[in-house]
Amino acid sequence: MSALTFTLKQRTDQRVDMSPLVCQKLSGMEPAEIAAIELQNGKSKVRVDSLFKISGSDSHNIQFKNSFGKLDFIGKDLTEGSIHVEGDVGAYLGMGMSAGAIDVFGNTDIYAACEMKGGQLVIDGNAGDFLGAAMVGNKQGMKGGVVIVKGSVGDRAGDHMRRGVMLIEGDTGDYCGSRMVAGTIAVLGKTGRFPGYMMSRGTLLLWTQPQLSASFNDCGAHTLAFLPILLNSFKKYNSRFAEVDTFNRVQRFGGDMAEKGLGEILVKI
Amino acid sequence: MLTKLTGGIVYDPANGVNGKQKDIFIKDGRIIKKPGKDARIDKEYNIKGKVVMAGAIDLHTHIGGGKGNIARMLMPENHRIDPVAHTDLTRAGCGHAMPSTFLTGYRYAEMGYTAAFEPAVLPINARQAHMEMGDVPILDKGGYVLMGSDDYLLRMMTANKDQQAINDYVAWTIRAAQGVGIKVVNAGGINAFKFNQRKLDLDEKNSYYNVTPRDILKTLATAVKELGIKHPLHVHGSNLGVPGNIETTLNSIEGVEGLPMHLTHVQFHSYGTEGDFKFSSGAAQIAEAVNKNNNISLDVGQIMFGQTVTASGDNMRQYANHGFASPNKWVCMDIECDAGCGLVPFKYRDQNFVNALQWAIGLEIFLLVDDPWRIFLTTDHPNGAPFTSYPHLIRLLMDKSFRNDMLATLHPEAQKMTTLASIDREYSLEEIAILTRAGAAKITGLVGRGGLADGDFADITVYTENKDREKMFAKPVYVFKDGEMVAKHGKIVKVTWGTTHVVRPEYDKSVEKDLEKYFNRYMTMKVGNFTISDDELTEDGRGSITVHPTVGGKV
Repeated sequence: MSALTFTLKQRTDQRVDMSPLVCQKLSGMEPAEIAAIELQNGKSKVRVDSLFKISGSDSHNIQFKNSFGKLDFIGKDLTEGSIHVEGDVGAYLGMGMSAGAIDVFGNTDIYAACEMKGGQLVIDGNAGDFLGAAMVGNKQGMKGGVVIVKGSVGDRAGDHMRRGVMLIEGDTGDYCGSRMVAGTIAVLGKTGRFPGYMMSRGTLLLWTQPQLSASFNDCGAHTLAFLPILLNSFKKYNSRFAEVDTFNRVQRFGGDMAEKGLGEILVKI
Repeated sequence: MLTKLTGGIVYDPANGVNGKQKDIFIKDGRIIKKPGKDARIDKEYNIKGKVVMAGAIDLHTHIGGGKGNIARMLMPENHRIDPVAHTDLTRAGCGHAMPSTFLTGYRYAEMGYTAAFEPAVLPINARQAHMEMGDVPILDKGGYVLMGSDDYLLRMMTANKDQQAINDYVAWTIRAAQGVGIKVVNAGGINAFKFNQRKLDLDEKNSYYNVTPRDILKTLATAVKELGIKHPLHVHGSNLGVPGNIETTLNSIEGVEGLPMHLTHVQFHSYGTEGDFKFSSGAAQIAEAVNKNNNISLDVGQIMFGQTVTASGDNMRQYANHGFASPNKWVCMDIECDAGCGLVPFKYRDQNFVNALQWAIGLEIFLLVDDPWRIFLTTDHPNGAPFTSYPHLIRLLMDKSFRNDMLATLHPEAQKMTTLASIDREYSLEEIAILTRAGAAKITGLVGRGGLADGDFADITVYTENKDREKMFAKPVYVFKDGEMVAKHGKIVKVTWGTTHVVRPEYDKSVEKDLEKYFNRYMTMKVGNFTISDDELTEDGRGSITVHPTVGGKV
């Protein structure tokens, strides 16, 4: 059985809500039924088959081709199966997903992995602002799972993050790990201004020295036995994190002292 | 155009009509006498057997002013869960605890309400409050001007200015802010908060002004009486939510020495300290005091279980309660020289001892106060619950077995601490009509509203009789506002714009001289800009102003 493939016929002017096209909702549906699903497109509703050429039938294995930056909510609340996207995607990629896998060969807009609960999300390009953040007004962002970004990410990655692992191979924007409650963000590239801004707990693991705000205290150099274990756990991923040299020496900075102050920024020595 | 409502069962306590079948004739927005035989009836509604009341009036609901917008900004998640699409007639909006202005108007009208009063109009923010209420469709509205923690009044009191000077200042303020009553919130407490006092009992002095809440209550209650403002001083008491505050409330009743006073959201001020959890019901004592003192009226501020947001000028108490914020975020702010503002999201839970008992205390107060003309149905929207829970509340009052079924599901310790199960009283339709119409119109001093007499404005609600009172009151068959049908079967059919009710007591113009100096020295706006002109409320072409007479005064 070949992957259920949606190939975009032409780009729309308005944004499209793609949340109905997830594995668990499409399983057991006839091709004609899938074609007849209506998607919200700006103010109007459009049928799936008017936007996409549909082929294949394995709803457990969905592919979107020719995707572009106005397809929002791809993989929303995904609970099983895999979604593979070729091209850019819009906002809220993998929002609230609890299991399964999404990989995107392109860039994402804001709020990818928003309030994600589990599963694995891989972005081959760059991610926009608020990666793994909480929706506006909510108090907890990403609560589990793994996010791997091969490019760079925008501002406020991991805003209100609660649990889970975020692996960023490129650089981050400002306020990386802002208001973090807990969880781990590892960054191979550079970080912008104010990393860990208002974080109460959680860990930022950095390979380059960041520009820290005054409310982080230098706690000295440490040898941390858990670091090799953590780094080894990255070996199973298709990521540069699988190839990094294992180390256990870090400079530890505690903060944000303007908040609870139990968070830490660990910088490889 | 002449409209006839035929055969309805009319409950009009304002005119002593209790469940009598009666035809109602409407012309030019008013109820008129039965016209002659040859009069042509343009539109007739056969409402045989249906229940007819005047349009309901909510005399205490936070629908305007900056705090609403802060609540909206604070709780986007509460808006996301409750989106409402636009129709050809109505505008889109959202919000469960604090809906948008348009939804507020639609939802009230759909429940048969035709007037609502914002109880905390801070004079310095009155313009915004009126603009916001100007965006509430269908309903008539009005505001109680918040005083008692403003530096100017406290300065006057410290300087021992005579009552006449204070009366002039109060009258000037209510006119400048286009109010219909005077409200006091935690008398002096909001001001004391700014001088680092974190609690203020009735006889405790403001550490800077040396004035006690008791003085303030008495001074303002006297001013309201002497100015002839019909609505009694609207009092949000001291020590809101503090176990044992029943003492404060009883002392406040004594403290005004017979002057008219309206105690608002009394449920939050009726707590004792008995029992294992040092939290008990003071409803019986409150009811006894209210039954004994004819000068006291009250609204309950019933809580309902679920998510809401508490919005109050009482930043002293909001600050004290911010630890209970759920979700965990809150706002507390100063309003320049006037008062304060605090917003704490709150989730009342039926399995929480305190919340369950609060629920029971509110109902006890409803059922133990004898005179329906002096008690009013409110949830202190949105503080106890959103106003959309009124039909449910009415059912609780009218249906004893339903009430007891609900009680039986609550926290078991709370059930032991309340006498609710033993109270047999059930409200009648007539009493509901008094609470929500006749009494509310009377106490806010509205002329021509809240009743169905000839000449009254044709604000009329028609309900289909239903044993399930919640269903009955949630979706009236017809709602007329000023003679026009605005809602049918709980859906808006026409969007009209209500008037703004105000009072204009006389005062000595020389008061402005000193105020001008004060404004120039301390405030961010000039006294001339502070005063809201009539044009500002009416120039959009849909607002209007209705001036109600003061006692012994001319309009």
